[in-house]
Amino acid sequence: MARRVAVVAGGHSKFGKRYDATMRELCAEAYKPIYDEGISQDKIDATVLSYAASQFTGQGAGSALIADYIGLQDKPHLRVESACTTGTASLRAAWGMVAAGLYDVMLVLGVEQMNRVSSATATEYMSQAGDMRWEYPFGISFPAFYALMASRYMHEYNMTHDTLAKIAVKSHHYGAQNPKAHLPKEVSFEEANNAIPICRPLNLYDCSLITDGAAAVVIAAEDRVKEFTDRPMWIKGIGAGASEMKIQDRTSLTSIPGAKRASKAAYEMAGLGPEDMQMAQVHDCFTIAELIAYEDCGFVEPGKGPEFVDNKENYITGRMPVNCDGGLKSKGHPLGATGVSMTYEVMKQMRGEAENASRQIKDVKHGFVHNVGQSGQFVNCFIFERGWS
Amino acid sequence: MVLMTEEKELYLGYASDKAMTPFMQKFLEALDGEKLMMSKCTSCGTEFLPPRQHCQKCLSECELQELTETEAKLHSYVIVDFAPESLSSKAPYVVAIGEFPSGKRLTAHITNLMGMPEVGMSLKLGYEHIDAKKLTYKWLV
Ligand SMILES: CC(C)(COP(=O)(O)OP(=O)(O)OC[C@H]1O[C@@H](n2cnc3c(N)ncnc32)[C@H](O)[C@@H]1OP(=O)(O)O)[C@@H](O)C(=O)NCCC(=O)NCCS
Ligand SMILES: [Zn+2]
Repeated sequence: MARRVAVVAGGHSKFGKRYDATMRELCAEAYKPIYDEGISQDKIDATVLSYAASQFTGQGAGSALIADYIGLQDKPHLRVESACTTGTASLRAAWGMVAAGLYDVMLVLGVEQMNRVSSATATEYMSQAGDMRWEYPFGISFPAFYALMASRYMHEYNMTHDTLAKIAVKSHHYGAQNPKAHLPKEVSFEEANNAIPICRPLNLYDCSLITDGAAAVVIAAEDRVKEFTDRPMWIKGIGAGASEMKIQDRTSLTSIPGAKRASKAAYEMAGLGPEDMQMAQVHDCFTIAELIAYEDCGFVEPGKGPEFVDNKENYITGRMPVNCDGGLKSKGHPLGATGVSMTYEVMKQMRGEAENASRQIKDVKHGFVHNVGQSGQFVNCFIFERGWS
Repeated sequence: MVLMTEEKELYLGYASDKAMTPFMQKFLEALDGEKLMMSKCTSCGTEFLPPRQHCQKCLSECELQELTETEAKLHSYVIVDFAPESLSSKAPYVVAIGEFPSGKRLTAHITNLMGMPEVGMSLKLGYEHIDAKKLTYKWLV
């Protein structure tokens, strides 16, 4: 039987357009609070480094560079890549190594530096994660993949853009209360509903940000946890899923099949259901992605997402607070850091240490993470459990 | 691969993947003659659009066959206002997934829309020579 594994510490850089830093400095910023808590380099057995695209920086073999920069040059490290799920894929890989007994204590470090190229170039690089032969030639950017889902969702369920704008308003409401957020400002419904079009039906406020940032967590095997904390967050369930490469090949565009499989597997492993969660971090790379996530993760029935939004069930006061750190929309989306940042946020909420008490969720025993890569080709879901009373 | 002298240098779409294979070369030569090819597995008979050289199910070789369907319904669409750098000068453009009566789908631009696209609207398959080397299939309304 595998050993139990817990998240015992975390760190997070400021997200934003970070012209004052590159990957290495961002990683140092994310590891520093962990070091300050007493988890110095000598206590870490190995590192998994997570960044999605080397095109943004030109740096090859980045895990060597970063391990060296933060003083882990003599400890094993490797890089994991699976688009925007790179962060949780790294956590999944590290969990496996610790659960199996290969290492006791591992650092999972997620980072992306996206703003040293223009938005058009960043959009170009990301579009190359579509099928280079059959999709890329038609200029299908990431917002475009999700706009294809939005158009279909609007058609099948009679949804209007109002629903999507309400999700953006919610994300910015919480992002405005998060000092780590990239764009910490409130937006009005009118602003969010009438912003400039990016990939119609999606506009500027439907899109996540192009962000520089890093996040880190340390995981430890159950017999070592006490050395680091009396507040361990257990990794209770992990589920992963995948979907067809070409978006046209999906039987449905109103759901991500891999996300349904991933969430189901995570609930099964944990022996828990959506009703047992007090909060969720979902992959809102676009507002439509957040809407679909409510349904794929079982918070609501298919087609009922808009009602969930209208009733503000996704707010702290609602049935399932979602992305109360601002999400990818307002906190930002440095691809490789995102899944680690989601994990960090669940840990902070569980500890009652949300940065800004105004967005603290009460008494979190279980938290859910849903992290999607590309348009659903990769999905990881995690269920975390509070290890103290 | 090294191109034979009699082979035309052809690429698909507006921003092309330059990695060519003999199979893709044949697909593009047919497209040059305004024929859209799908592929059919020589072992289990499964059909693929767009074509694949290897069957997704049994990994056997597929052969190219002309698609006989030309009329489709719009399954979903996007109007790309902010484009990847390689297509910046072309924006805004409409990308649509069209579905043929057989259920096969194809992703391409709609190039002659006057109003807004609508899910369910009728589409017709068309062709375009973008320049001397680039060509594409497309949707017309
Ligand atoms: C939508 C997008 C193209 C806008 O980029 P841009 O036009 O280059 O924007 P800029 O960086 O020049 O910023 C212009 C203004 O818009 C704001 N802005 C940029 N992106 C924004 C976003 N996503 N939401 C809200 N505001 C945004 C900026 O803060 C800036 O405001 P200011 O003028 O008040 O300072 C870009 O944010 C994007 O591509 N997002 C999606 C990222 C993505 O696909 N990630 C992968 C997901 S799987
Ligand atoms: Zn076959």
